[in-house]
Amino acid sequence: MRRITVLLLFFCLAATTSFGGGYQVGLHNVRNIGMGLIGTSLSYDASSLFYNPGGAAFVNEKWSFSAGVSLIFARGTYQAKDVNYQATLKHELNTPFYFYAAFKPTKNLSVGIAVDAPYGNRLAWKDDAGDNWKGRYLIKDISFKAITYQPTISYKIKDIIGFGVGLVYATGTVDMNKAIPLQGVNGDGTLNIKGSTSSFGFNAGIMVHPDKGWSLGLNYRSKIEMNVKGADATFSVPQSLSSNFPNNKVDVMLPLPANLDFGASYEFGKNNQWMIGINLCYVFWSTYDSLVFNFEKKTAAVNRTATPALYVDQMIERIGVQFKASKVITLRAGGYYDPSPVSNSYLNPQTPSLTEIGVTGGLSVYPFKGFSVDASFLYLMGGKRSGTYSPDNFAGTYRTGFSIPGIGLSYSF
Amino acid sequence: MKKILFIILSLAMLTACERKIDEFAASANGLDFSKFVSVGNSMTAGYADGALYLSGQQNSIPNIMATQFKTVGGGEFTQPLIGTEEGVGFTPIPGGIYCYTKRVLTIVPDMDCYGNPVGTASLKPAFSSNPDQATLLQQLFAPPTVAGPYNNMGVPGATLQAIFYPGYGSALGNPYFKRFATSATTSVLKDAMAQQPTFFYLWIGNNDVLASALAGSDLMLTPADTFAKYYPMATGALLASGKQPKGVVATIPDITSIPFFTTISKQLPWNGVPLSATQAAQLNAVYSLQGHSEIVWKEGLNPFVYQKENGTLAQMQEGDLFLLTLPTDSIKCRGMGIADTTKHPMPYVYPIPGKFVLDKAEQANIKAHVDQYNTIIRQVAATQNLAVADMNTYLKSFTSGMVFDGIKVSTTFVTGGLFSTDGVHLNPRGNCIAANYFIQAINAKYGSNIPQANVTNYPGLIFP
Repeated sequence: MRRITVLLLFFCLAATTSFGGGYQVGLHNVRNIGMGLIGTSLSYDASSLFYNPGGAAFVNEKWSFSAGVSLIFARGTYQAKDVNYQATLKHELNTPFYFYAAFKPTKNLSVGIAVDAPYGNRLAWKDDAGDNWKGRYLIKDISFKAITYQPTISYKIKDIIGFGVGLVYATGTVDMNKAIPLQGVNGDGTLNIKGSTSSFGFNAGIMVHPDKGWSLGLNYRSKIEMNVKGADATFSVPQSLSSNFPNNKVDVMLPLPANLDFGASYEFGKNNQWMIGINLCYVFWSTYDSLVFNFEKKTAAVNRTATPALYVDQMIERIGVQFKASKVITLRAGGYYDPSPVSNSYLNPQTPSLTEIGVTGGLSVYPFKGFSVDASFLYLMGGKRSGTYSPDNFAGTYRTGFSIPGIGLSYSF
Repeated sequence: MKKILFIILSLAMLTACERKIDEFAASANGLDFSKFVSVGNSMTAGYADGALYLSGQQNSIPNIMATQFKTVGGGEFTQPLIGTEEGVGFTPIPGGIYCYTKRVLTIVPDMDCYGNPVGTASLKPAFSSNPDQATLLQQLFAPPTVAGPYNNMGVPGATLQAIFYPGYGSALGNPYFKRFATSATTSVLKDAMAQQPTFFYLWIGNNDVLASALAGSDLMLTPADTFAKYYPMATGALLASGKQPKGVVATIPDITSIPFFTTISKQLPWNGVPLSATQAAQLNAVYSLQGHSEIVWKEGLNPFVYQKENGTLAQMQEGDLFLLTLPTDSIKCRGMGIADTTKHPMPYVYPIPGKFVLDKAEQANIKAHVDQYNTIIRQVAATQNLAVADMNTYLKSFTSGMVFDGIKVSTTFVTGGLFSTDGVHLNPRGNCIAANYFIQAINAKYGSNIPQANVTNYPGLIFP
């Protein structure tokens, strides 16, 4: 069993790409992943710091910690339009993680910190002949990662309404490679861009408990402008063209979109052992109009280029249930619908965004009171989508699939 | 706990593994590509960079097509490969031919008018090497490196009528046919028919205008009625060759899509002679003294003077085109197009030779012929139920640029990435794009679903 697993692991440790809409990763707490990624109206543990700061003050215990990691096993295939050609996403593993710590100095006040990897995209395309795949003039590989650090304060009035706000400090790194369609005796020219940045945003929310068992939440996470200033741009082109492609600095501008979340949940049954909740997440994707590269040294060939994305706002709809089977075991299940923010004319191998339907399951095991080991599994149905990135006339059909197991620990006392 | 973890991990990997997409569903829809034969000129032969050379042939349009046909039952495609990567091109000279290699982009130091380097350098097409004439002639007439019969019957220089000529492969004929003709008395069409194609390709007629246009003239154009007579004979002969083949033909691109005719005029304006009142008066004196008072120079910008086909001198007009062969050094350093400043004691009238200029009247006459040929080609294709690749229209769409998989291509010389260094023939990437257009025409006509070739597999120009 173990050997087979390890073999499988090496055989198809799959590539990692953004999944669902765009490049937003929604894996913030293993418990919430288990129930369809809902969380805006929940206040079970310190993950409220992320899902809705307004809920953090409702967490009962004085201290609350959560930490965990997800393993994104992704697989993608590209079939060219009109050409007998396929490429696959190179096998890589992406592991978004989180860490939350909340402390209640008084009954109604909570302070805490949330560390999270809310956005990321890491993929490399390959074909049978190697990494000179058909889309190499658009992208060969890209690694983009953002980590947020969010100190948060939350206050509740009675057990009815809570407010919270967090300052988000985000760091980001980008590392991408593409080919340039100018051939020398050694083949294509190449471009590598590598840089990092940091930026600020905020996360604010309100939670209301209007009636016994009911909870409503509203949360807004602001847009964060990830402007990578002065990234290193390294060109390799035939010598006769090198003056047109000087090694350079480049500013890369990529916005992380704002999210507006509404959640409602209801606890019922004996000892409230059942909970059902929904979540509507409006993602302000339209802020991602284009990926802008502005080179410092400008020449006839190297300039300010905007790679159009033309994303449109989308609503993610989520539903989840939780069942406390016993004092030791809690079970969860859920699902969601995550529509792609990109149109068929701008479907780009850089972020092959497909509309996804996710199915989730999860459980927590409590070896002793307050401490749980949490596990989740998220399976994305893996749709198929045909489109053309029209600015580059790159057409084909993409199919991606994701299996994302997650493991976490929670401790409240 | 461990067990659960293993189960979850295994499940994760298994479910993530199966993400297949059906491969391209190729279909011939009844077309038989077991014997594909192509007939044409240099465009078909894989001639490029001013010469016939090995990798150029390997990247020829019909060879790229034949590779795609293999997915729908296509047979082997044999080409009369030349045994040299340097290649052989030639120009007729009195009593024979003068040979040279292909041209490659080279960094050439810029010179002043006295032949001294000025410290800068430019990227220019230059012969890849300089073997002696005997070597090049030997390479040109050496038998192909593979045995025939040859599916690719493209012969550089061939006109529509030339493919009918018995003896076109003789010593008096075309060296590019002589090197692989089955006999000295056969014709291109005969050798093609003898192979009994199941599917044929015919792209002929380019040289019926180009031979004249490349020489800056409109006097050697094949008359339209001659074209109308021979074209259906050519397709008819192939159709009647025995196996009831289907086929594809192509229209003739107008010269305005070809960088050979458009490049220099983008850099050198037709009226690029600025004169002061004094200079204009001096030139008028020279011209009138030497019997050319019909040319009048004025203060300001003046047109260059060139020699027309009938020997008379004329001033250029807006829209007249310089050819890529224009000796720009003579213009810069000797006053070509104005007056020869190296002559003493007085400058001498020095028109640009007519072979370097295609004036508007010549262009219009050439375009009229191209349009007539293309009407004939489309009519014949319609009557004989053949697919037509409208290369004239297609190539025009490249004047403003097209993009394939992130590669921007246009008809601009060198930087456009479509044409080879001779400015007339396509480079491998251009050939792939053209081959794909032929395939699109076949699919559209016959309802087949033949895959196209991957453009990113074919290089454009190679830069040093």
